[in-house]
Parts: sequence; C-alpha cells; structure tokens
Amino acid sequence: MIVQLIISGLAIGSVYALLALAMVLIHKATDVVNFAQGEMAMFTTFLCFALLHGLGLPVLLVFLLSLPIGFLLGAVIERVIIQPIATDPPVNLLIVTIGLFIIFNNLAGAIWGYDPHTFPSLFSKEPMDLLGARVASNSVGMIVVAVLVMGSLYLFFEKTREGTAMRAASMNRRAARLMGISVPRVWMMSWGLAGAIGGVAGVLTAPMTFLDFEMMVAVLLKAFAGAILGGFNSLPGAVLGGLVIGLLETMFGALVSTAFKDTFAFCIIILVLMIRPTGLFGRSGIKKV
Amino acid sequence: MSLPRIAGYALAAVVLLALPFAGSHYEHFLLNTALIYTLIALSLVILIGYAGQISIGHAGFWALGAFASAILVTKTGAPFLVGVLFGGIVAAVFGALVAIPALRVQGHYLAIATLGFALIVQQTLFEWESLTGGRQGMFVPRPSLAGHEFTDDFGYYYIILAIVVPFFLLTVRLPKTRFGRRLIALKLSPLAAASFGVNRARYLTAAFTLSAFLTGISGALYAHMIGHLATETFSLITSLSFLTMAVIGGILSPVGAVLGGIYLTVAPEFLREFKSLQMVIYGVLLVLFMRFLPHGLASLPKRVWTGIQRRRALKTSSALPEGRSHD
Repeated sequence: MIVQLIISGLAIGSVYALLALAMVLIHKATDVVNFAQGEMAMFTTFLCFALLHGLGLPVLLVFLLSLPIGFLLGAVIERVIIQPIATDPPVNLLIVTIGLFIIFNNLAGAIWGYDPHTFPSLFSKEPMDLLGARVASNSVGMIVVAVLVMGSLYLFFEKTREGTAMRAASMNRRAARLMGISVPRVWMMSWGLAGAIGGVAGVLTAPMTFLDFEMMVAVLLKAFAGAILGGFNSLPGAVLGGLVIGLLETMFGALVSTAFKDTFAFCIIILVLMIRPTGLFGRSGIKKV
Repeated sequence: MSLPRIAGYALAAVVLLALPFAGSHYEHFLLNTALIYTLIALSLVILIGYAGQISIGHAGFWALGAFASAILVTKTGAPFLVGVLFGGIVAAVFGALVAIPALRVQGHYLAIATLGFALIVQQTLFEWESLTGGRQGMFVPRPSLAGHEFTDDFGYYYIILAIVVPFFLLTVRLPKTRFGRRLIALKLSPLAAASFGVNRARYLTAAFTLSAFLTGISGALYAHMIGHLATETFSLITSLSFLTMAVIGGILSPVGAVLGGIYLTVAPEFLREFKSLQMVIYGVLLVLFMRFLPHGLASLPKRVWTGIQRRRALKTSSALPEGRSHD
C-alpha cells in the first residue's frame, strides 16, 4: 500500500516538477512568471492528439513530437508577443501571459470541444512488480520519462555552448551581452525549452486525467506550489518542490480527503510564504541601488 | 475647484440621474450591471494601477461578498444595507489573510496566491451545501430600504449609484492622499520608497484589503440584483474577465474603470454570436491592448491628441533639409 502511494505520488509529482521546471526556466531568463505555461502544455497535447487521430501516427512518435511542437509554440510566442514588450513594466508582461492563458484555454475548447477525450498511454495497462508491490506501469513510465527529460536538460546546461550561454545570461545579462551572447536569442530559447518541457508534462498528464481544455489548470496551481517550495529561482528546487507536492498531495488524498486535494496545494503555498518565503533552495535577492 | 470642473461634475450628475428614464426594464438591468462592474474595475485600478500588484482571483472576493450578504439577509433577516456592508467586510478580511503572507516577498506571489484562493473559494462554496445550496445555488431577496422593497431595477439603480459614486470619488482622490502617494511610490521604485521609510508589505496589504472590500460590496449588490446565486458564476473565467475589463478601460484612471464597466456589460451583447470564441477575443484584446494601448481606452483621447501634434511638428520640420521625418 505504501509503495503504491509513493509511486503514484512521485508519478503525479513528476508532472508538477516538469511544469514547475518550465516556469522557473522562463522566470530565471526573463523575470516573467508565465501563467500560460499550463495552457500551452494543454494546447500542445491537443495538437499531438490531432496528429494521432488526424494522421494516424503511432503513439510513440506523437509522444516524441510533443517536444518540437511545444518548443515551436514557446519560441514563436516569445518572438511575436513577449519580445516587443520585454522592457515594459513586469505587471504588463504578467497581464500578457494571462491573456495567453485565456486565448489557449478557450481556443482549445472552441476547436476540440468541451468534453474530455481519452488519450492513449505509452505504457502497458498491466501492473508491474516493484519492491514486492504491484504498481501501475503508467506511473513508473511517467517517472522514467521525467527523469530522462531532466537529465538531458542538465547535460544541455552543463555541457553545451548554448546551455552555458543561457546560464551566463541569467546570471548577469549585461556581462553576457559583452561576451557576445545574444540575449534575445537566449530568451527565445528559454521559452522554447519551457514549451517543450511543458509539452511532455501535457502528454504525460492526458492519459491519466483525460484530455480536456481545463486539464492543466489544477496542475498549474500545484506546479506553482512546487516552484515556490523550491524557491522559484532554482531548477533543482523546482524539481524537488514538484515531487514533494505530488507525494504530499497523494498521501493527503488517500488518508484525509479527496474533495479538498486542490485546497491542499494552496495551503502549501501560503505556508511556505509564511515560514520560509524564499523556498527551500532560493536565495533572498540582494539588490544594489 | 475651477468653474469648468464644477460644470463637468454637475453635467455628469444630471446625466447619471436622468439615465434610467430613457430605458426599458432590460436596459435598467444593464445599467446596474455596468455600475456593479465599475466598482470592481475601481478596485482593480487601486490594486493594479496605483499599487502595481495584480489579482487573478477577484471573482473569489466577489463571491464572498455576494454569498456573505445573501446568507446574512436570508438566515438572520438583517436589513439589505447591513448585508452589503457585511459582504464587503468578509471579502476584506479574506483579502488581508491572502495578502499578508503573499506580500512579504517581492515578485508576483500575490497573483499566484489569488489564483489559488479563488479556486478554493469556488470549490468550498460548492461543497458547503447547507449554507450555500451547493449545486442548486441559493435565492436572494430583492433589496429593500426602510420597509420599501425595490422590485424592479429602476429604483435599485439609484441605490447602487449612491454607493458606487462615493467609491469613484475616493479612487479619484486617492493618488493625492498620503496613502495613495506612498502606493504609487512603491510601484515606481520599491527600493527608493523603502529607503524613505515606506513599509512595503503594510501599504500593499492595505491596498489589497481595500480592493477586496470594494469587490465584496459589488458582489453583494450583484447578489440582490440577480436574485439567484450559483457557484459556477464565480469561476476563473470571471476573474479573468474582470482583469480584461480593467485593462481595456484603462488601469490607471477611475474614468477607465467606468469605461471598463460599460465594456464588460456591453461586450457580451455584441460578442454573443461568436459564442465559444468570445473569451478568445477577450484574450486577444488583452494582449493587443498591452502592446499598443497599455493605458486603455481612457488614454485614447490624449494619445490621439499627441499623435496629431507630433504629425504637425513633423510637417513643419520636414521643410528643413535635415528633417527627421523620413527616419
């Protein structure tokens, strides 16, 4: 029983972790909190769904296609909508991401309808044995995919020129520009990568909850909770925060109440802000005047 | 106060008082709706325009005001005006509870906290069937004053007007007060304001509480007008519509709030034929306004005026050999 709970908690937690990762990635690079992240992920999943049924592509291919589709969606949004107002007050950018939230949320409903659709899972329906307990293969698969995505992201940031440039730009924009790094390009890359990671989170969520236009709203709130718990400026923090939220929420749902599972994430947000507002991994910002 | 200004206020007063005589039942309902929305837009002008903070959960405070007043009036038989005041106070108390932790930290935590809060409020109202009627919703008595019940929206218009106008004047006045100046200073430069001894968390929490209070009052007025409350009215979509209205009207000015209130009342009438695309259009408008007219419709006359003047200036300068008009 406890092993099953931990595995399903980690599985849902890895979705939160991926979405939190996407938001922290954008926030680190551009100081924007992207409220549309979840809806972009949902929209990417619907595009995959259209490929799956329209062209009859195999599930594995559609799964892999969520990466480039998500990347393109993120990068285009950054270039067309975010870049022209990049120097505006932060509140304006926030309002624009809320505008994007409204657009994607309702566009998906208008195009694909308001009823939930089934979305095939990449993994078998048969449960598998793990540590002497029978657990859902889908849950294990979700965790494995999330670990793969996070691992490649780590390698990208540590081992490639592009990744190093992105880290440099988020540490000190001005110095990075002096070193010949194109900051607008870094911003576009960040939005693109975040879109791709979100896309994976979307195709992992859809088989579990059914695919519909409101699928990611609750996930977004939990990802926020995870990102805040991790400190909103730390990529490992976002991952750990998301996993912790998933675990705690599953335990809470199993042991206390399922109706108020969503309330739980909100309480975590408030609790963290009250006790340790910089999160587990965040450093409090010191500003020079 | 200068003479043209007094004349302006007098004209506005006459128009506002005479307006309902021109319309039918349905138009009275639309007028009241516009005033109720204007009050929310005013609360967002204080929060976003003056204090520079954002809420994506004002439907939550609207719901608290609406249900608090409805429950008090139906369960205890309290007078209508007491219910409205109670609605505002309940919303303000919850506003403070959300804002106090969220505003201790810099950044957009308030926006996130309000998003979560509004979802929780809607869910809790839905689950708490004994108090709110849950799925069925609850009936709310019509407004009454000193034993007289206002059965139609014609008389109710004047009550709403008498409540909204003072809040409008308060919002106009606010930037000239000590409190308002400090809020604006915090928005323009948090560091500079803090170094002059302005306590960021305290002032922003006060602004948020005031904003929630206005929205709670608006919710209570709405409840007694509409007569029946259903929890699905107070969804995330509603919160986002409020935000859209405030931005499109003009987030920096109380006049913009009035324009926003009219917009949110009238837009569904025109966009009805687009059905499911209606909200998509709201979103596109939000993005376009932020890009091209970030201070909303209220800034349009000034914008057009400076545009004309600039063009004139360019015309005279292009006569010179090195005019910049062809840049």
